[in-house]
Amino acid sequence: MEFQLLAAGLAIGLGTIGPGIGIGIGFSKAMEAIGRNPDAAGAIFVPYILGLALTEAMAIYALVIGLILLFAV
Amino acid sequence: MVTNSMVGAVLTSVILLLAAAWFVRGAERVPGRLQSLIELPIEWISGIVRGTGGTRWAQFVALVAAIFLFVLVANWIGLLPGVGTIGIVHHDEHGEELLVPLVRAAAADLNLTLGLAIIAFVAFVSFGIRANGVRGYLKELLIAEPAYMTPLLTPIHIISELSRLISLSMRLFGNVFAGEVLLATMLALAPIIVPVVFLGLELIFGFVQALVFALLTMTYITLAIAEQRQHASHTGTA
Repeated sequence: MEFQLLAAGLAIGLGTIGPGIGIGIGFSKAMEAIGRNPDAAGAIFVPYILGLALTEAMAIYALVIGLILLFAV
Repeated sequence: MVTNSMVGAVLTSVILLLAAAWFVRGAERVPGRLQSLIELPIEWISGIVRGTGGTRWAQFVALVAAIFLFVLVANWIGLLPGVGTIGIVHHDEHGEELLVPLVRAAAADLNLTLGLAIIAFVAFVSFGIRANGVRGYLKELLIAEPAYMTPLLTPIHIISELSRLISLSMRLFGNVFAGEVLLATMLALAPIIVPVVFLGLELIFGFVQALVFALLTMTYITLAIAEQRQHASHTGTA
């Protein structure tokens, strides 16, 4: 059981590195775009939220693996 | 068996139904304060759907707005004082005290989010079939664009179609459940002032997750409708 805990912690911990970087890049680009053209803030918002959700999906797969390791194995 | 997050879900439905019943009876041409409060989110989300939902936005705007309102109200009910903290104390087999809350955030239970994701899944599959026909839909799903790539791409296609179900449901569940755990941890670490910051954060997260669920449903529906026309551009939407 101790190794399952370790594996679940590693799964979610390592699994959030990539999506974290990805969301950071997306957010910085969105802010850059709004800074250049503040009128486009409304048009940028929806694609930004969608991109954020799709990037976040990778972290969710890590969460699923973590939950499987904890409760289903 | 009634679980505490089911109570949260029923509470959400009751609030939305009461608002709808009041709105049907008491709506006036010049909106008062309460009417503006109800109209504001509906007009906002239908404005977004009108702007980004393609030409057939009117067919699914009600579904998207309903998902948005339900998830939003369910998430914010989970942040009310007393929700998740008032409950019945049980003693487990080791003699330790265990608090079972009376009401919990509805989306902190995977069953509710999976149910919502299944609704979205059925919606975008049926919109795809209605727009392209059964043959068009199956052709899109099973046969890749250069025919010799079919054995490689078809499994990927099917898995990515099914992974939408998992990612939609687990995203909402994970965020709400993690928010609940985060609030409880912060309450245990520093009971004064500090949790207020995280409550504010959870307000934003609850709103963003409701918006994300609704927008992803809308995007999947528009993709399914438009698939026939744009063969080439398959974005990896998981």
